[in-house]
Amino acid sequence: MKYRLVSGLETHVELATATKIFCGCTTAFGGAPNTHCCPVCTGQPGTLPVLNKKVVEYAIRAGLATHCTINTTTHLDRKNYCYPDLPKAYQISQFDKPLCEHGYVELESGKRIGITRIHIEEDAGKLVHESGYTYIDYNRGGVPLIEIVSEPDISSPEEAKEYVEKLQLIMRYIGVSDCKMQEGSMRCDVNISVMPDGATEFGTRTEIKNMNSISYIEKAMGYEYRRQIEVIESGGKIVQATLRYDEHSGETSVMRTKEDAQDYRYFPEPDILTVVIPEEKVDEIRASLPELPTDKLHRYICELKINPATAKLLYKYKRVCDFAEKAFALGAGVKNTVNLIVGTLYSKLETEEDKEKFLLPVTAEEMAKLVKLADEGKINITLAQKTLAKMAEEGKPVSEYIRPADIAGMDDGELEIICRQAVEANPAAVADFKAGKDKAIFALYGFVKKATQGKADIKKPDAIIKKLIK
Amino acid sequence: MSVDQKTIKTLARLSRLEFSDEEIEKFAPEFEEIIDFANRINEQVSGDTESIREVVTRTVGWEDLREDEVKESLPNEKITSNVQAENGYFPVRRVVK
Amino acid sequence: MKSVISALSAKLQSGEWSSLYLTEKYIKEIERRNPKLNAYVHLTFDEARKNAEAADVMISEGRATPLTGIPFTLKDNIATDGLLTTCCSKILQGLKPYYNATVWQKLKAQGAVLLGKTNMDEFAMGSTSETSYFGAPLNPVDTTRVTGGSSGGGAAAVCANLAAYALGSDTGGSIRQPASFCGVVGFKPTYGAVSRYGLLAYGSSLDQIGPITSSVTDAALVYDAIRGDDKADGTSCPTPDGKTVLRGDVKNLKIGVAKEYFEGISPEIKGAIDNMIAEYERAGAQIVEVSIPALKLALPVYYIIACAEASSNLGRYDGIRYGYRAKNYTSVDDMITKTRTQGFGKEVKKRIMLGTYVLSSGYFDAYYKKACLLRKTVESQMAEAFEKCDVLFAPTAPNTAFKQGYSGGNAVETYLSDVCTVPVNIAGLPAISIPCGVDKNGMPVGMQIIGKKFSDALVLDTAYYAERENLSLCADVEGGVKL
Repeated sequence: MKYRLVSGLETHVELATATKIFCGCTTAFGGAPNTHCCPVCTGQPGTLPVLNKKVVEYAIRAGLATHCTINTTTHLDRKNYCYPDLPKAYQISQFDKPLCEHGYVELESGKRIGITRIHIEEDAGKLVHESGYTYIDYNRGGVPLIEIVSEPDISSPEEAKEYVEKLQLIMRYIGVSDCKMQEGSMRCDVNISVMPDGATEFGTRTEIKNMNSISYIEKAMGYEYRRQIEVIESGGKIVQATLRYDEHSGETSVMRTKEDAQDYRYFPEPDILTVVIPEEKVDEIRASLPELPTDKLHRYICELKINPATAKLLYKYKRVCDFAEKAFALGAGVKNTVNLIVGTLYSKLETEEDKEKFLLPVTAEEMAKLVKLADEGKINITLAQKTLAKMAEEGKPVSEYIRPADIAGMDDGELEIICRQAVEANPAAVADFKAGKDKAIFALYGFVKKATQGKADIKKPDAIIKKLIK
Repeated sequence: MSVDQKTIKTLARLSRLEFSDEEIEKFAPEFEEIIDFANRINEQVSGDTESIREVVTRTVGWEDLREDEVKESLPNEKITSNVQAENGYFPVRRVVK
Repeated sequence: MKSVISALSAKLQSGEWSSLYLTEKYIKEIERRNPKLNAYVHLTFDEARKNAEAADVMISEGRATPLTGIPFTLKDNIATDGLLTTCCSKILQGLKPYYNATVWQKLKAQGAVLLGKTNMDEFAMGSTSETSYFGAPLNPVDTTRVTGGSSGGGAAAVCANLAAYALGSDTGGSIRQPASFCGVVGFKPTYGAVSRYGLLAYGSSLDQIGPITSSVTDAALVYDAIRGDDKADGTSCPTPDGKTVLRGDVKNLKIGVAKEYFEGISPEIKGAIDNMIAEYERAGAQIVEVSIPALKLALPVYYIIACAEASSNLGRYDGIRYGYRAKNYTSVDDMITKTRTQGFGKEVKKRIMLGTYVLSSGYFDAYYKKACLLRKTVESQMAEAFEKCDVLFAPTAPNTAFKQGYSGGNAVETYLSDVCTVPVNIAGLPAISIPCGVDKNGMPVGMQIIGKKFSDALVLDTAYYAERENLSLCADVEGGVKL
């Protein structure tokens, strides 16, 4: 029998606010233990939470970017459970009135993964277990999170991967999070069940907690899918349970079953009054959203006629796109701009993070100047590449490498002389070309390039040479 | 209303409290008495309780939310001043016999 | 009643006494009388002397406020930086917070002198102060009787002249009822009028800090000094600018009397209140009969909501960051459970269990959710009553101070003694309790004046009429600092 995989993800995303959700302490990563703390985020008795405006704003941004409706009247709830990393013994979260609901994320295939809800909540502290002791650090306690809950629309590990990557991309684009899984600023709980093809009822689900890498999500889902099928095929039943994934063995194991499930005793947080967000505020946030990644990709391909492979290399990095678009606006041709970025600048930006940050000392203005020289045939693409590489290293303007005189000196008459010399100096190549070996003409190009020190675009000499040979 | 031992044990677990069987024996009737008392919310009240008029609940608006401005955190010595801190951490020895 | 604060302030301003001198007088009296009365559980005399010296500087520099240099007390559930704050519970033993409650910060800035922290029911859960880990305070009027609670220590300290005033907290009557039992004034402001930042929470949606004083005038002075919006408490809100003006203007005032408030009230208490009502009527007030049928629901609603919130609020007492920690255990989990089992008293455990019960899955709708709906019913019926009147007059408690130990026997009966005070907390209203005669045993009777939300000034002014006309007399107890 064939089985369908049914999966939904709960994704926790740490918001890139300056301060914690309920106090003014910094959210900076790391720091000596218990130094990013105050009476509020360590749950000193008598203290009260005061909601950070930016957290609400960022959550709304995330909601709008995933096509959610925004609940403009919203409140917070207490989720009660006792654990040493939770200093109040409850997490302030949202239960029945999440800030955002009913959205979706579109995959490349056009399939939409539904977003059930997005709510805001606080992170817990960190436990270190060492030599018979548990040590507690509350620096992370109170760092703002959004939890993005998807519908059980995901039907393969590949879709899960794409969904998580899309979320990452969107959140980075709109500037609400850096979504670094390795630093824990994005983590997922994966719900999985299987059902025979054609069945209408979902199977019993299990939940794999706290996944902090996309490849582990894929592997864990694959493992759990196979495990569940095996259990069913051998006549067993799936037990509803919370699982952990062991990255070394590649297997899941039970953390707790439904029997000892928590009873969180949610109730409205009495210390924070219901928040009423004006519609105009939501409109304002909507208006401030940048073009979203999928829209940008479509525009690059359909309107700017960038070839799809190149467009896909660009659209993921918002700063790169901003740079390119600024250069376009300054008159730089699309084709040369994107090819130079992908061909030359990307070789200086090796990691994803480098591209994400895009910290090269080249301004869009200088880029545009350089590209225009190439566009107008005043320099050839090779020289443009070399120049750009130097600019990216040294941060100097185009004029440092290509003087106006160099370009101006190359008039058509001069170019024709050089071309003539090229034809005369390479009789064999000319003969080959005439005999139909198209590639033979490259020898002549090489001569011209050398003689002009790359200042001429190859289109013009090409035309002159062909005219001369005829 | 009677509250069974199992319910009391579940509540105790959730409340992070411990009662010996003997204590539960004593506690159960007292607890039942209180539950009975709480059940008085189900008593009928003369007068109009059905049509609850809209009570104005206080809410806050956008401007009442806190600005995202960093305030200096407290020094670690303060934060951990009510325990014997170790390297800045709150330590709990896992077993003490 | 006379304003103790104004009289003392006059002596300080005139230079007759220094604040330090006055403070030493109080300290001497506390040392003499507190061992018996047990009103104070933590003495902060070093802090008091420092405060007094600072106050004397303020006075000499002409920067004095009405409370500058005046010695007072805080209930043991109000956070004081570096000074013990234990909610009279074993589980908080040794806790010295590293921040100040907003009210203490405000008073300190105005030159107040903190003598100590006063006794209370453990975590404010009780009506007699007998659940205190430090033992019950005694009622200075009759030491065989309880002070009431939960702010019993503060009421006893003010009654015995061991402090010029006290700050208490009122979740279901914890300021007004002990004030009534000890024959002093207790004022519970509108919910949100005084910041709760630094008040160790019992029932967060009900808790409110307020003054216990020897006069309505003093209550207004202290209220003015502590009220107002606080950025650190999102549930606080602005109060009117300027000083609360007391004129005692009751002509044409509409006084509502709801019969439900008088059901099951002892005839002596009812008589005392009827007399007071008659006095107001003679002064030109109009008496209006109103009905609040849902009033009898207020008590179970209160216990469900307060305990639900408490079960969550008290979850943080786990022995990890402060306070008591169990000595022997087998895991961190076990440490937490043992710490709580050994650290909380019986009444607190009972209320935590009730709160957990009403919030747990399967019971949430039948109890907590229903209680929230009924809370709105009570609120709405009270609002309706205030369409017909300006203030309500009601007894503060159905009885006067019990004998010590009486409440141990019957838990529910003790809960019932909160019947007159909890509706105000349920609806977030302001209310004051003022002395209104004595019973046959000479124990003080209290009368409540209740107003609609944010009519705190009207409530105080209405009470002030009784003070001005000498209709309301505070208990007169031997000893303490007298003028």
